[in-house]
Amino acid sequence: MTLWFVFALMTVAAIFAVLWPLSRNSSAQAGGSEAAVYKDQLAEIDRDVAAGLIGVSEAEAARVEISRRLLAAADSQHNLPARSSLGLRRASAIVALVGLPIAAVTFYLSLGSPQLGDFPLVSRTRTADANQPIDNMVAQVEAHLEKNPTDGRGWTVLAPVLARLGRYDDAVRAYRNAINYAGDSADHRSDLGEALAAAAGGVVTAEAKAEFERAVAQNADGPKANYFLGLAAEQDGRRADAAAIWRGLLAKAPADAPWRPLIEAALARVGDPAAPALSNDAMAAAKDMNEADRGAMIRGMVDRLATRLKQNGDDVEGWLRLMRAYMVMGERDKAASALTEARQAVANDTERLRQLNEGVKNLGLGG
Amino acid sequence: MIAEAGHYALVLALALALIQSTVPMLGARWGDQALMNVARSTALAQLLFAGASFTALTMLHVTSDFSVVNVFENSHSMKPLLYKITGVWGNHEGSMLLWVLILALFGGLVAAFGNNLPLSLRAHVLAVQGWIAAAFYLFILVTSNPFLRIASPPIEGRDLNPVLQDIGLAVHPPMLYLGYVGFSISFSFAVAALIEGRIDAAWARWVRPWTLVAWIFLTLGIAMGSYWAYYELGWGGWWFWDPVENASLMPWLAGTALLHSAVVMEKRNALKVWTILLSILTFSLSLLGTFLVRSGVLTSVHAFATDPARGVFILLILCLFIGGSLLLYAWRASTLKQGGLFAPISREGALVLNNLFLTTACATVFIGTLYPLALEVVTGDKISVGAPFFNLTFGPLFVPLLAAMPFGPMLAWKRGDLLGAAQRLTAAGIAALIVIAVLWAWTFGGATFAPLAIGLAVFVVAGAVSDLAERVGLFRIPLTIAVARARGLPRATWGTAFAHAGIGIALIGIVCETTWNTEYIGSMKPDHVAKVAGYQLKLDGVTQRQGPNFREMIAQFTVSRDGETLEVMTPSKRDFTTRGSSTTEAALLTRGASQLYVSLGETNAEGAIAVRIYHKPLVLLIWWGPVLMAFGGLLSLSDRRLRVGAPKPAKAARALQPAE
Amino acid sequence: MTRKQRRLTMIGGSLAVLAIAAALVLNAMRDSIVFFSTPTMAAEKQFPPGQRFRLGGLVQPGSLVRGDNLAVNFSVADGSATLPVTYKGILPDLFREGQGVVAEGALDASGVFKADTVLAKHDETYMPKDVADALKKQGHWKDDYGAKPGATAASAPVQGTSK
Repeated sequence: MTLWFVFALMTVAAIFAVLWPLSRNSSAQAGGSEAAVYKDQLAEIDRDVAAGLIGVSEAEAARVEISRRLLAAADSQHNLPARSSLGLRRASAIVALVGLPIAAVTFYLSLGSPQLGDFPLVSRTRTADANQPIDNMVAQVEAHLEKNPTDGRGWTVLAPVLARLGRYDDAVRAYRNAINYAGDSADHRSDLGEALAAAAGGVVTAEAKAEFERAVAQNADGPKANYFLGLAAEQDGRRADAAAIWRGLLAKAPADAPWRPLIEAALARVGDPAAPALSNDAMAAAKDMNEADRGAMIRGMVDRLATRLKQNGDDVEGWLRLMRAYMVMGERDKAASALTEARQAVANDTERLRQLNEGVKNLGLGG
Repeated sequence: MIAEAGHYALVLALALALIQSTVPMLGARWGDQALMNVARSTALAQLLFAGASFTALTMLHVTSDFSVVNVFENSHSMKPLLYKITGVWGNHEGSMLLWVLILALFGGLVAAFGNNLPLSLRAHVLAVQGWIAAAFYLFILVTSNPFLRIASPPIEGRDLNPVLQDIGLAVHPPMLYLGYVGFSISFSFAVAALIEGRIDAAWARWVRPWTLVAWIFLTLGIAMGSYWAYYELGWGGWWFWDPVENASLMPWLAGTALLHSAVVMEKRNALKVWTILLSILTFSLSLLGTFLVRSGVLTSVHAFATDPARGVFILLILCLFIGGSLLLYAWRASTLKQGGLFAPISREGALVLNNLFLTTACATVFIGTLYPLALEVVTGDKISVGAPFFNLTFGPLFVPLLAAMPFGPMLAWKRGDLLGAAQRLTAAGIAALIVIAVLWAWTFGGATFAPLAIGLAVFVVAGAVSDLAERVGLFRIPLTIAVARARGLPRATWGTAFAHAGIGIALIGIVCETTWNTEYIGSMKPDHVAKVAGYQLKLDGVTQRQGPNFREMIAQFTVSRDGETLEVMTPSKRDFTTRGSSTTEAALLTRGASQLYVSLGETNAEGAIAVRIYHKPLVLLIWWGPVLMAFGGLLSLSDRRLRVGAPKPAKAARALQPAE
Repeated sequence: MTRKQRRLTMIGGSLAVLAIAAALVLNAMRDSIVFFSTPTMAAEKQFPPGQRFRLGGLVQPGSLVRGDNLAVNFSVADGSATLPVTYKGILPDLFREGQGVVAEGALDASGVFKADTVLAKHDETYMPKDVADALKKQGHWKDDYGAKPGATAASAPVQGTSK
């Protein structure tokens, strides 16, 4: 409302600027004239002569010349009598009164956004936290941390959010900072490892594994660290090791741990003979959970890895990981075609080709 | 509310500009004074609204209102307040808004202080200003609107580029704009004269102060930009002949020519048609400077393709104003009456020579700047026309100009006495010859060209001094009378002398810097000593410091000469880790007009640091010269003869009374 | 002197100055213009050793080698070709692997580009927007190169005649 009031005031001011001179009867004084300039030039010559700057004869010549111009100017000045054309004035007044506001408002409405208020930063940071999109809050926290990089609690809060947003590389950095400034802990280490694995497309890299090992060193029973250590073993093809780790984890786990079904499903996947017999219900629940929670995520990670390798095929280790992942997911066909692609990619490099073939042997992928 | 009010103010300014560009023209056509007076009030109101709009944008930047696209893209909440404000014009949209604000300011000044102008001339001038303003408001609103909004505002802005956070960079664009836009007034006067079909000496007198104001700002703006490049870019160069600089140099050259030809017109009623043409050309070059640089067209034709709407609009504006005014000129120029006669050897003749050389020099810069662009459009070849081209063309054209410069003010109007002028310049000539001889002996076997150039510069400076000496009759009459006469000398004469001397002084700086510049480039470890031009610079050590958002590596040098320690210099290099960019902060040590310049490069694996050290003799003269020129301009501007025109109406009325 | 004679003097003088200027411009054009070339174009045009030109492109990531006494080697790439460059001196602040660069110099006998000036693509302009634009321009730069082979092929005959 205030906005429209301000607009109205401004419009009135603009209209007034046009109407005011129209309403005034023109005074006889019609601005300056050339004659004045020439008179001044004459005076200037007198001054110059008095100061001895120019000679008398030159001054006389100049005077004659300027006087001639002065006469001409004086002649032409009176041939333009002041007239007033009422019709034109009325037309201008109407344009100002009607045309100006209509044109201005129409033009403005096609461009402006009168419904939007101001959003100065100060008022926004104080109030609007709850209903802002998550990106904004993250940006806010990041800006804060850029100024105060040693705020460990800030990093601790930020890191999981980044991980959830899929910004794994940033999450890794944030977890590292959290460890630096908020103190080392098993949870932080295993979260960092998880972020590292996520950033590597779901593969537990050596770097990630090191973090999980550190976490286990601090807290031997940490379920996340142990789970991922098992996963690392599985990805390396050491199924028995993986099964052993997971069995140990299950043995110590409380009966109602929410992650139990996940581990049991994993155990079933590696074909552990000693896997506890699961009731059909539990199996189904675990399966549901797997589908819902992890299926999509893993699929995404594997796809990312595949794309990366398509762009840069030198990474033998990466190819092996990809094939392993396909095998784990039970997609033998894809694993086989990945192998073909991998062979093509490193065909020129005998050393790499040898590595690839070695690795494939352990995978149990024929051909 | 602030954003929308600013937006609406801009729309109103457009509406007023449209009225300002039509109603007064009709009034002048039908001789209606009230209609002509509309020009004045609308020009003032337009200034008010343009000012309100700019203030609104500034407030938005200061409060970091990221719901405005322009603020979001070009600001950041962590910028220091000063750079939030200067950031307003640090981007295309904001700079265009500043441009129209300055345009409105000049229009408002003409409206407010143009009492001495004939009514119809004022109406026409302001109407032409209205056309320009309307075109620009439309351009801003349609293609470069700074008030566009984002419905769900982001929390943080995008720009925190450290290179842009510099006070020199922040201040010099407005100075350049004051210059560019100031020439719009002489353009409007020229077009008004063509429309009226009438032009006379009085016109020149009215146009001169405005041209002078624009010229002063442009001179200072160019000098400031050059000094900024010198200390900030870290390699000690002060003029690169790059398109951006050329774009500001061209209007300056044309404007300088205009300033001189307007004198001829005022005093002798000659060169009318030429002066009109120059006014049009000067502003056209200013438009070109604003637009081509801003739109990036000069650096690459392809920049045009990125925003076709904007590019087409720019082309339209350029065609409309440059083409339109030149057409009007071709059509109407013949109706202007011929002016006074003069002999080739005369003050007029000298000023014609000045114009000839200045415009030709301007044309060569124009060719060098736009030829690559034309070639790229036609053949697709990318070439670069660098400093050698300009040195080879611009230099030879400026030499005769400078050599003739001291003669100009010595010659009389109408018919001059070259021999007499030469006699009066004997002292200056002898001074120049002595300087040449001394320099030659001193730098024997060195540069042959430099002493000659410095001799020329000394001739120019001494010429300016002897002009003053002649006028006050120094050494010929008793000193007290001479002083009195000096006081009585018109300030414009002093201004001329200062401006001419300024050129000479800048030339001395340029020649010394380019010829006797010594440099040391190498890697240094702590306690190493570099010797440059008799100075010893010992690297004491390198320290690291954490700034607000950067890490800074500071090297400390102890400078000594002949065993005597002079000062400590601390150049540094800042790394803005979050942005992945770094800046070099050069250290300067000023000794008289000479400077020692140290800037840092990278650190290598063994801990040695790359260093460049320059000794730049008399380098500061390069910028003192323009400052002196601008001061001369200011003196001329303060000359009461320029402010005249009509005596105050009230006074005139009183003066008439006794006669009745 | 009559009005006509005076006018002729002035016109004659102006023409003389213009002729001198034109001669200067043409002379300078012949000697001091350097072509801008990307590595691909340089390969096509076969610049003889010693002829100066400006080489533009992106600094090939991983190619930067720093030698003794501020000597630097790096490669300039444009997507389809690369050219090794040697330079001695301090690189500009904005020089970075993977970023745009313009080097001025000439090829030596072994086909290595010896640069005497290296400009990182955006420090030749100092207006705020232009620095920002230059950053954006690097995007277009790559585009240019995509379009370039066709453009150079079309312009090659013109080039030949103008030499």
